[in-house]
Amino acid sequence: MSSSAVEPEAADLVCQLENVQGMVDSLSAVRWKRHQDAVVELSEHGIVLILEESNCLQAKVYLRKELFAQYDYNAEERPRFGVSLGLFVDCLSTFTVPGRASAIEIRYPGPDMQLLLKSLDSSDACIYAEIRTIIPDTVSWDYNFEPAGSVPLSFTVKSAALKEAIDDLEWPGSSIRINLKPAPPSVSFRGEGHGDLQIDLMYNVNSDLLLDFNCNHPVSHRYKYKFLRATTSNLPSSVMKENRGSKLTIGRGGMLKVQHLVPVGRAPFPNPHVIDSASHQQQPGRIAYIEFFVKPEEEEDDNRND
Amino acid sequence: CHFFFFFFFPPSNLCVAALRSATRDGESVVRAMEFSLSGNGLKTFSRCITCLARIGNELAIEASSSQLEFHTLNSSRSAYQSITFKPGFFDVYTIFGAQVKFSVLVKAVCAVLRTPIQSIDHLRVQLPDPDASKVQWTLECNNGMRKAYSITCNVEPDIQHLALDRNGFPSSLIVRPRDLNRLLANFQSSLQEITIIATETTSLPSDADSETGEKAVELRSYIDPTKGQLVSCEFTNDLNGEYLTAVLLTVDNDSSLHTQLWIDPTEEFVHYNHVGDPVDITFGVKEWKAFVSFCESCEVDIHLYFEKAGEPILMAPKVGLSDASGSNFDATLVLATMLTSQLREENPSEQPQRAASIPAQAVRQKEPQAQPESSHRATASEHPSDQTKIWSDLSGSAARSGSAAAEDRQTAEDRNLSATDLRQSQRLGRIQISENVPAGAPAASRHHNREKGPPEEAQDTPQVNDNAFSQRHPSNWVDATEVDDDDDDDDEDEMCIQSTPPYCEEH
Repeated sequence: MSSSAVEPEAADLVCQLENVQGMVDSLSAVRWKRHQDAVVELSEHGIVLILEESNCLQAKVYLRKELFAQYDYNAEERPRFGVSLGLFVDCLSTFTVPGRASAIEIRYPGPDMQLLLKSLDSSDACIYAEIRTIIPDTVSWDYNFEPAGSVPLSFTVKSAALKEAIDDLEWPGSSIRINLKPAPPSVSFRGEGHGDLQIDLMYNVNSDLLLDFNCNHPVSHRYKYKFLRATTSNLPSSVMKENRGSKLTIGRGGMLKVQHLVPVGRAPFPNPHVIDSASHQQQPGRIAYIEFFVKPEEEEDDNRND
Repeated sequence: CHFFFFFFFPPSNLCVAALRSATRDGESVVRAMEFSLSGNGLKTFSRCITCLARIGNELAIEASSSQLEFHTLNSSRSAYQSITFKPGFFDVYTIFGAQVKFSVLVKAVCAVLRTPIQSIDHLRVQLPDPDASKVQWTLECNNGMRKAYSITCNVEPDIQHLALDRNGFPSSLIVRPRDLNRLLANFQSSLQEITIIATETTSLPSDADSETGEKAVELRSYIDPTKGQLVSCEFTNDLNGEYLTAVLLTVDNDSSLHTQLWIDPTEEFVHYNHVGDPVDITFGVKEWKAFVSFCESCEVDIHLYFEKAGEPILMAPKVGLSDASGSNFDATLVLATMLTSQLREENPSEQPQRAASIPAQAVRQKEPQAQPESSHRATASEHPSDQTKIWSDLSGSAARSGSAAAEDRQTAEDRNLSATDLRQSQRLGRIQISENVPAGAPAASRHHNREKGPPEEAQDTPQVNDNAFSQRHPSNWVDATEVDDDDDDDDEDEMCIQSTPPYCEEH
């Protein structure tokens, strides 16, 4: 994996985060089950977490290095390890202090390939955590998302509205059909079960529900409700409050990509314990990217794909 | 022309469906029934659905040109709720033909109204044709979302009508929901049935020391003696530690909190009318509470009409003085009452001994030599306290405090001798019974049966002996000493009822 075993001092990655809450929020957004194992990849660009279920749903969390106050990457090859997501998030949560930004340092690997966390807030007390890591599955299924055609099929909808729609679709349950129509420009979600529910979102100048819409031909695919639900079930409250857009794109074969932006807020005041590297961007809003990929259900009847 | 989503409409009516043309915002020609609501009407409508959902499962809908009626019946057929809307209640109300009847699951309508009302611009309900298998409930939301729910409906609902004439009830009362909730808060929240005992208000001049307010109405918890409750489930190993056995401890309702509340109707009710002999009505609390919540949210008083035990009672929101608000909307709840009167088993004496005679009679049943404690009860009932007096009976037949302040639940007053007599009789009664009672194991056999065997009353469970309900169950009798271990002040002559919360906390 890395040569850090030879030189214990030079860890593959040492990074410092000013506000651990942002990381908790981003990772929570991909928690849809109690027990999930995440594959973590470290690189010179940042940290990526990948989760999967049943070969039908994949989620990725991108934490670019610019989100960190300090990011020292020293590995030769990109380290990959597995960690229990719930454990990781719960552990990070213990470092958070309500109402105050708390800074932590993340270090990998420890002497036994653990993930090491350390609080940086005070000089008299320290919270320290070690998380066991596991060797990840050899092949993580690469969804290889490709655009459906030359023109992307996508729309951007307010995150809160998307979550509301998907929550409402629990009532019919089973599988949900997503229809995109170019004229009139609209998106609809339809579920049929003991009762039917169809939720329509129109795209027009007045509506601020659909922030963007790209579709040049009608498209329709079905997705299992529980996977669709996973894409919004745990959106952090910061996302709902900011209510930016979540972008949904339909790729080749009907693969659905759902993208969210999670703010990873900066501390209001510079934390004296955190070394703020000079190259660190002083941006007011820093974002973690969350991506979900949902495989469509096979169509039994006539192929309504493009 | 634009065609909207055809799969809304039942396939069997394709010719009808083909006639439908849709405008851009989805209005379609409807041949049976359509109505739409927004704003305050929608809020009221939502409250109605919430109430109906707490009563029954199936919602029967009957639409005619003069009104729209919703009704539901609960599963035990003891509660029937009906809500009537006049066409003026709606923004749009259209009926084709004489009448349309169908039923849906209330839960489905609740799913429609899950969206917060304040984010809904309007709700439109459409039944495409009289035989349609689905009825459409469409929400246009403020943020631009449209949610179209297609709910399966049953066109042959079997809910009968129940129409009772309010004027046919001899007695009635009007109470504010807030006041009623306050009174009901004195009762165990898990209480299932309640008894109201109504007596004629006499025109006695009240005493100068204001202790003798006219407590003409009593609210009393009713515990069905045939229904036990699961108190706790205990897993134990057998002696060898091999087998895990589950001991389910079921206790009959002695462990429940029994509460009696005497109230002065002139203080608590907006209006009260009852003449003649005392009557009592016993009915389910759950549906009653649903209706009280409904009236509270609509900010109207509750008008309760009653006659006597066995006759149903009727409740309706009290229409205010101004006709405008009440004219296009009405709701009624009919509750069945228990056939047997709680008063009927009394000795035919007059009212002051009413409360006394039930326990007296109970004791008489079990223990011929029991002292008639009616004397002390009658004494107590002649000294009610101010406005509302609360007597919570947790163990045995604690005598009421004659001079307790209204909010003071501590009835640890000196008891007169008759209380001791009663306890004596209780003990006697208990010992007699212990030999032949399978349930409610007395202390003697308790230790033997610790690990397995017949269900036994958990030692820590508060033992309640409310004589009013114990006449049928010898197991209700309790060794008073066991109970007092926990709450007595070392003075067995003084039955000390501590206020309810700490007592419960010990257990």
